[in-house]
Formats: sequence, structure tokens, C-alpha cells
Amino acid sequence: MKLISLVIAKASATLAVAVFTLSFLLVSPTSFAEDAENAIEFKDDVQKSTYNELVNELRCPKCQNQNIADSNAVIARDMRVKTKSLLDEGYKKQEVIDYMVDRYGQFAHYQPPMTIATSLLWFVPIAFVLFAVILLIRRSQNGNIQHGEGISRTENIDEAYKESESSIDAELEQLLDTADSNKKDSEV
Amino acid sequence: MTDKKPKENEIKEDYKSFAAKRSYAIMFLPLITFIVLCGFLLKGLFSDPTERESALINKPVPSFSLPDLNDASIIHTEKTLIGEAVIINVWGTWCVTCKYELPYLTKLREEYGVKIVGVYYDQNHAPAFGEIADVIEIRQDVKEMLAQLGNPYQYNILDLDRTLSLNLGISGAPESFLIDKNGTIIMHHMGDINERVWRTKLAPVWNEIAL
Repeated sequence: MKLISLVIAKASATLAVAVFTLSFLLVSPTSFAEDAENAIEFKDDVQKSTYNELVNELRCPKCQNQNIADSNAVIARDMRVKTKSLLDEGYKKQEVIDYMVDRYGQFAHYQPPMTIATSLLWFVPIAFVLFAVILLIRRSQNGNIQHGEGISRTENIDEAYKESESSIDAELEQLLDTADSNKKDSEV
Repeated sequence: MTDKKPKENEIKEDYKSFAAKRSYAIMFLPLITFIVLCGFLLKGLFSDPTERESALINKPVPSFSLPDLNDASIIHTEKTLIGEAVIINVWGTWCVTCKYELPYLTKLREEYGVKIVGVYYDQNHAPAFGEIADVIEIRQDVKEMLAQLGNPYQYNILDLDRTLSLNLGISGAPESFLIDKNGTIIMHHMGDINERVWRTKLAPVWNEIAL
């Protein structure tokens, strides 16, 4: 009796796992582009890989931050169809990108070219790192200069203390000297 | 010893004030950075991320050859647009925002004599995916909607497979272009045309090109 219930429990657990896995498989996110891709007949593998590169690099102008492969907006679909037909016409990859950029601006391409405006994106971080390095070097060179008020005050106290100490020492020595000379005088 | 001391003190004072100035500058650096960052983010808060600059400004209207919405025997081309300033308005009956702008566009046509040409943008037509739009149905829908909300259009161009729209860089509807009498695109506007947009953005340009 105990054995049977154990078997049933184990079987139901396996079943639960299977159903759980299957449910994931059923709702696995096959994107719109993938569906369309299955329907598209490519001339050869080169065209297929160029197409895939393009749909991942071209940006959907309607949606925010999606490429045309990920989006099922009407415009993204139109751009995918256009990409395919341009490739069929013998357009090279860069020519397809130029075609889209001519119509939708640089917005439509995820790899913007180096211009005066975009060069900031490259140079500002480098400038920041350089600035930080220079700052660190300078700080380590003149060490104490960078310290704040509080520390310099304590330093002054230290110095003042040392000064007063040395002057006391000097006075003491002088006194001792005079005492010595007095002693010698008296001895003489 | 007595004439050496003041000198040292002087140097110390100089150095102290210099250090103080420096530490003030460094103290305010985070505050300045923070203010600049706030300004930048505040600007971002009021900017519209869907706003893109059209790539077609100061370029001629792309060439096309498309039928009239209501009569397939009439073919419109880019040359039909040359001669006087015109607004190209891309729209569709499926588009909710387009419904809102129809009455105002009609007002512009009737009160200011603004010439508006419609480009009918259909969402569903996609022969590559086996979806064919019913033109008769579209005509009926358009007729009903324009009768109800006003008809601002001189005529409508039926851009069934959206080639003209793609060439114009359209990403949805409504979008409008101000075209001068030579057929050059002067301005692009995404979204509906309402009184505010017309007065602040479009009218100043329109008044110049419509002379």
C-alpha cells in the first residue's frame, strides 16, 4: 500500500514537471520576425545572413528602442519587406542602410557614424578618465596641499609646538651656558 | 631670528588663502555638477522621444505614381503637387488621432484656404503575408468619416502598399509635410495638427511658402 502511494506520488511529480516544461515551450517567445522569416525564401545563405544582420541593426522609427526584427509595428514589417526586396534587387548591406537612413535619418540605424555630435560619446568618457588620472597623480605629488582646513590647523599646532619647544631648548641651553660660565667664573 | 619670522608667516598666510580658495572650488564642484545634471535631466523630461527630425527637409517630394482613393483611373504623381504650396497629410480611418485633427484641418481649409492633400495610409494591406485590403470598404469608411467630421482634403492619394509613406519616412499616422510650390519639403510634423501646433509651429512657415 505504502509502495503504491509512493509510486503515484513520484509519477504525479514527474507529470507536473513535464507539464511545467511544456507550458514554457508552448509560450516560448517566437518573435514576429521569426514567423515572417520562416515564410521568406532567401536566395542563399549569404543573403539570409545579410538580411538578419540588417533587421537587427535597423531601428524601428515608430517604436522606442527596438530594432525592426523585434517589432511587429506596421512600419517595422514594411521595412523588413523592403529590406528583403532591396537585397533581391542586388543592394549591398551598406546600400540598404543608406536607403533607410535617407528616409528615416540616422535614427533608423543603431550604429551611428562618427560626427561632431556623436564624437562626444567617445571622447567625453576618455577625457573623464584622463582627468581623473591627472588629478590622482597631482594629489599624490603634492600630498598635503589637498588637505582641508582642519588638518592644516593641527599641523600648525604641531609646528608651533615644535617651534616653542626648540626655543625653550635654546633658552635652557643659554641658561645652562650662563650658569656654567658663572660657575667657572666663581671657581676662578 | 626676529626678521626671519614675519617672512615665514607671510608665506604661510599666502599658502593658507590659496589652499582655502582651492578647497572652496572643490567644495562647489559637486554642487555645480549636480545643477548641470539636473538641467540636463529636466530638459529630457520635457523632450518628446518620438520626435525625430525628418531626413527629407529641403528635398523634393519623392517620386510616386499612385491612384486616387475614390477613382483608380486618376493617377497622381509628385508633379501634381507642383504649382502651389500644399500640406501633405498622411492619415487613415483606423487612426484615432487623425479623427481629432479632421475638424481642425477642415477649418484650416475653409477659413484660411490651406490646401491639404491626403495620403491614405492603410495598415492592413500586406500581400507578402496574404493580407489584402478591401478598397471598396476603405472608400466607404472614408466617405462616412469625412461626412461626419469634415473634409479637409483636395483629394486623397491611396498609398495601399505604403511605398510613398516609406519614401517619406512615415512611421505612423498622422504625419504632415509642408510642401512649397516647387514641390520641396519644407517642414515635417508628427502627430495631430491642432490650433496650438498650427499657430506656434506650422503657420509661420506656411505663411511664408504660401505667398
